[in-house]
Amino acid sequence: MAEGAKQLAAEQPPKKKRVIDPDSAAYKLGEITARNYEEVWEAKRNGEKIGWCSSNFPQELHRTLDIKVCYPENQAVAIAVRGGGVRGCTEAEELGYSNDICAYARISMAYARHPKAPEQDMPLPDFLLCCNNICNCMIKWYEDIARELDIPIIMIDIPFNHGYEADEEQIAYVGGQFRAAIEQLEEITGKKWDEKRFEEVCQITNRSSRAMLKAASFLQYQPAPLYGFDLFNHMGVLITALGAPGTPEALELLCREYEQLQKEGKSTFRAKEEHRIMYEGIACWPHLKFTSKSLISRGVNITATIYGIAVTHIYDDFDGMIASYFKIPGAMSLERSRDIRVQLCQEDHVEGLLVHTNRSCKLWSGFMPEMSRQIGQICDIPVASFDGDQADARNFSEAQYETRVDALVEIMAEKKGETA
Amino acid sequence: MNRLEELLKKAHQIASDPRAQLDAYLAQGKKVIACAPIYTPEELVHGMGMVPMGVWGADLELDHAKQFFPSFICSVMQSILEMGMRGGYEGISGIMIPSLCDSMKALGENWKYAVPTIPFTPADYPQNRKLEAGFLYTQAVYKRQIRQLEEIGGCRYSEETLRESNAIYSRHDQVMQKLSRLLADHPSITAAQRSDLFKSALFMRKEEHTELIEAFMGELCQVSERQKKLRIVTTGIQADQPGLLEIFDEGQLHIVADDVAQESRQYAVDMPELADPIAAAAKKFCDRDCCSVLYDHKKKRIAKLVETAKERRADGIVYIQTKFCDPEEFDYVPMKKACEEADIPLLMIEVDRQMTQFEQARTAISAFVEILRAGTLPSLG
Repeated sequence: MAEGAKQLAAEQPPKKKRVIDPDSAAYKLGEITARNYEEVWEAKRNGEKIGWCSSNFPQELHRTLDIKVCYPENQAVAIAVRGGGVRGCTEAEELGYSNDICAYARISMAYARHPKAPEQDMPLPDFLLCCNNICNCMIKWYEDIARELDIPIIMIDIPFNHGYEADEEQIAYVGGQFRAAIEQLEEITGKKWDEKRFEEVCQITNRSSRAMLKAASFLQYQPAPLYGFDLFNHMGVLITALGAPGTPEALELLCREYEQLQKEGKSTFRAKEEHRIMYEGIACWPHLKFTSKSLISRGVNITATIYGIAVTHIYDDFDGMIASYFKIPGAMSLERSRDIRVQLCQEDHVEGLLVHTNRSCKLWSGFMPEMSRQIGQICDIPVASFDGDQADARNFSEAQYETRVDALVEIMAEKKGETA
Repeated sequence: MNRLEELLKKAHQIASDPRAQLDAYLAQGKKVIACAPIYTPEELVHGMGMVPMGVWGADLELDHAKQFFPSFICSVMQSILEMGMRGGYEGISGIMIPSLCDSMKALGENWKYAVPTIPFTPADYPQNRKLEAGFLYTQAVYKRQIRQLEEIGGCRYSEETLRESNAIYSRHDQVMQKLSRLLADHPSITAAQRSDLFKSALFMRKEEHTELIEAFMGELCQVSERQKKLRIVTTGIQADQPGLLEIFDEGQLHIVADDVAQESRQYAVDMPELADPIAAAAKKFCDRDCCSVLYDHKKKRIAKLVETAKERRADGIVYIQTKFCDPEEFDYVPMKKACEEADIPLLMIEVDRQMTQFEQARTAISAFVEILRAGTLPSLG
């Protein structure tokens, strides 16, 4: 364990089990996530067809049809955070899968063959909802599970947009797929599409998204009333329940909590906010505590991240909904990805950029060096990167992480005219 | 040197020195468009009077590309970028890069900044290509590409010339399919020579390559074969590393069919006959299957490969895994299972474009050869 985090750990009093206020947003958001798993289990027990779904599959489709799904990416995160990532990855490697393959996929393919994980179980699927707007690796992963379990895939292909806005042809192509997917889902589950229900889901989705964007906007305050890492924890609920009843209310409660903290000059960041950075890339889930504590111990708050806001969807109509699924991190050009981050850095008064070069994610990491360079130049902030992985704990070095964070802090301090 | 040897020598020269080929086209005043892997609609380029040339990377040390790519991106994409940054593609008017895998997407984005002098034309073909919406979208992408090519080349699209180009490509596809079948009966042609015959297609106008291959096949038909070698099928993205091919030839391995993206995989589908030549070219893409970078939830590639191995009486299959190519890494496990069920020996070897030492591959292939000899040709053991 590197020195900074060790020291911080030594300074902490013995841990008491954290009791979460049942009236808090954190409690309510946690409840929504847990309820999703319960609903899927219950549906499975009742003989309903249930699915596994990729994180940015258009949830309006299955939610309108009242089809219950669970999310292998969230499950892989839960397994990795609780220490089971290497076990899952190793099981997949023993089957012959290369350790170069995305760790979420390895954990999931192993689970599909041996469905038992003490960290987070979920029922086996009757069909798969696949959308490649985060990566094409998703297609290969679901093809594998479909073949192994002999189940169908409902596939939505969102072409990677090398330009800026989705054009008419792209919208028409994805619209055609949405219609085909609805028909396929109706056939598989026997459930029927209902326009009124669809409108309700869209309204909830938009309201939840607006609330999430507002919650994230509190990062602009100096000091911020929240620790940016908190937003990582809300990804689960955004993925599983953006369009579910109760989600907008819980996120609006979160906004009120941040507003109150800001008024009182308090923060969920438990240290003096010395530096403000943008964290870029997927969280290094197996080392979440370490990566987080290392920042806290140096007074570094994450005041910008595309986590949370990346999966919000605000639109006025059907075509607008389709266009919103092109605005997912893995489907956008370098220019659009860069501009969103530059805007965040500027609005949230960011002083440095910390980049996770994620071994599991070829797409996100594949043009990260150039994008980071451009963000650094435009915002005139230093950039540091570290090697890690979203779920395979073996691809991370505590020493390298701390060295890179130290270097970033040093430059940020120098820029502020302070002594390191 | 007899005629057959002359033709093989020509194929070797072109395959091993694409720069000379590029310079020759440029000297003729032609504009050249680079076509990155895989399934770029070369017909469109050809139909507009330009020369499409395949760029599938090169065996060179990575240096400049490291500024853009992390180490875990496949060497095909890395070395294409490296070549571009080093000026290896100087004279080329534009590059088409598809988005069929995550590393290809990243190559396109990086290209804009790493090699700004060569315009990038994105090729975001649909994965849901069996739907009518996918077919229509492919046509829309092709029309967008035509507009970009018109800008790059200063030329106009013509339905008539595209129709002619479609016919030229159609004939070439058929000739290459025929070549693969013919080579299955000719163990005297080495793995290296076979690779030259396929690889040269990337750097030649297809009417010229068709002529070369037809002349070669005409000569080869006259050759009576006495040699007996072990029969293998190769599969993967690329199989053209000279060091690897040398080991195949040392081991007396005869490639009787391939499912290699750079070789036969791109010739597997015939051009449909449709009145609109853009629709015909688009339909050709939509009809494609059996490929690791094309969505196929039934993984028909695997069944087809097993079927091909049986049909060509192969003794085994060699899975040539390009390091860090995750679409191929995913397909390996079901491929292995299918081969076990069909009782077909399978060897996986990992390669990349920076390989200088092939000892590990040599050891693995030697052991595989021993197994095959013991299993199928005891008299040779």
